[in-house]
Amino acid sequence: MSTTDTSSRTKSRGWRFGPLEALTVALIALLIGQRWISGLFENPALQAGATIFVSIVVQAMPFLVLGVVLSAAIAAFVPTSFWTRALPKRESLAVPVAGVAGVVLPGCECASVPVAGSLMSRGVAPAAALAFLLSAPAINPVVLVSTWVAFPGNPMMAVARFVASLITSVIMGWLWMRFGRTEWLRIPSRDHLTGRSSWETFRLTATHDFLHAGGFLVIGGLTAAVLNVAVPPSVIDSLAGHALFSVLVLALLAVVLCICSEADAFVAASLTQFSLTARLAFLVVGPMVDIKLVALQAGVFGRRFASRFAPTTFVVAVIVSIVIGWWLL
Amino acid sequence: MTREVQSVILLLVGGALLRISAGDVFMRYVKESMRPWLLISGVLLVLAGVFVLVDVLRAARRGQVPDDDPAVVDVDEHAADQSHEHGHHGPRSAWLLVLPVAAIFLVAPPALGAFTAGREASSVAQPADSQAPPLPPGNPVTVMLADYAARAVWDDGRTLKGRTVDMTGFVTPNPAGGWWLTRLQLTCCAADAIPTKIHPVGGPESLPANTWVKVVGEWVPGGGTQSDTAIPWVKVNSWTKVDEPRNPYE
Repeated sequence: MSTTDTSSRTKSRGWRFGPLEALTVALIALLIGQRWISGLFENPALQAGATIFVSIVVQAMPFLVLGVVLSAAIAAFVPTSFWTRALPKRESLAVPVAGVAGVVLPGCECASVPVAGSLMSRGVAPAAALAFLLSAPAINPVVLVSTWVAFPGNPMMAVARFVASLITSVIMGWLWMRFGRTEWLRIPSRDHLTGRSSWETFRLTATHDFLHAGGFLVIGGLTAAVLNVAVPPSVIDSLAGHALFSVLVLALLAVVLCICSEADAFVAASLTQFSLTARLAFLVVGPMVDIKLVALQAGVFGRRFASRFAPTTFVVAVIVSIVIGWWLL
Repeated sequence: MTREVQSVILLLVGGALLRISAGDVFMRYVKESMRPWLLISGVLLVLAGVFVLVDVLRAARRGQVPDDDPAVVDVDEHAADQSHEHGHHGPRSAWLLVLPVAAIFLVAPPALGAFTAGREASSVAQPADSQAPPLPPGNPVTVMLADYAARAVWDDGRTLKGRTVDMTGFVTPNPAGGWWLTRLQLTCCAADAIPTKIHPVGGPESLPANTWVKVVGEWVPGGGTQSDTAIPWVKVNSWTKVDEPRNPYE
């Protein structure tokens, strides 16, 4: 690149009103408007909502950071070929093994989509990679520990979550093996991590995953805060009253809220009006099917895949949650 | 989202976490035991932000437009291109992280109080051990509201008889007149706060909501027993207005 070329590009960049400038203007506007903004929050309901929003985000942050750091470390320092060697040759056996292997990828669902894609491109059977895709965000130690922390009175919740998520992902793997068609699935062919040092991969993965998941955590926290303050307790109580209906309500809420699996247990814990089984469905469905995840799957594996895979996963996850909740909780 | 903006957002979020956990402000939102984890994550996020900033500056020195530098394009950009969830240069969702930062620095939401306590029924958890251990020595003895309520409701006040207790809580107006001495309990964060309410007998007629008071008094029967929504009574011997405690929750 020649010097003149550089300076002209730099100069032309200087004139552009880019995102950095937008952020600066926004921050200045917020600072100037501070009195007005804090005045708005003198209303006790808004104030309580703001407190709940901040507290959900603050509580989830350390878990999100931990999960992102661990998942990036594995993405960077464990070679992908390891997975191919570790899995049995027979596909029907590889599915449960891959499902259990989800334990070792501590990350949220956004991280597991690209990982599952690269597993497929490295020759892992799609059914096994899909079982891994579904189980990894739900049964890894970070998620189980945060579930355990979030439900101090119900240690069985973490166990039930583990069992129900594992069963759902294995069933989905076998269903794909039996009924899935190759032409529905677009296997990603590029390996994004080649040609980079491990440290660089680690840093880029961690930063990206944090920013991505953090944004969705904010959406979840906002929704939970609004529901908490705006909906009178009696309405939620009446929704929570019907055994089967309440399970569906929370399963759908999990799809809509898109909370990262590292943080969802705390939100579930705060939904005290609902039965434990309904909250289990929330925890099992959330990491497997939610709006942001379906979009991500459609991006990586194609729309034809996502439109079949996501609804089936939802139904299987709800049924398994009801059975496991009835048995364990 | 360009690399510069990513850097600023990481620094803002990390800075906000450090800001609240350096003092006592974080206790309005989460439990005290979270402090070390908040500090560690704050430091890691600030470091990540600095690293990205260094990338940007280095690229600028090399004369490249940093967000077009192939070495710093997002890891799963291939996936991102086909998903509307991502911008071209990184997750667009990350913009939302500005909201909690703005809330922390600009609004600084206070600890939950009378509003939350007023809309939820008082909750007295049944202790695992129905025979409560005797209160520690001291007269008056300082007790938590939840402890007092559990002893009064589930153990018929047996361990409270003949003792003078000292409790600190805030005022929640009783819609039927008068007020309740109240404290919220956290399991994880403020989103799961559960109130304990105690009905003062013989105290001031009314006080403004969210006033923090310290009540010295004695247990008197009343308000119901053996129910997790009972509101036990306390006879007020003396009371004083106090500052909000360091940890506003129990």
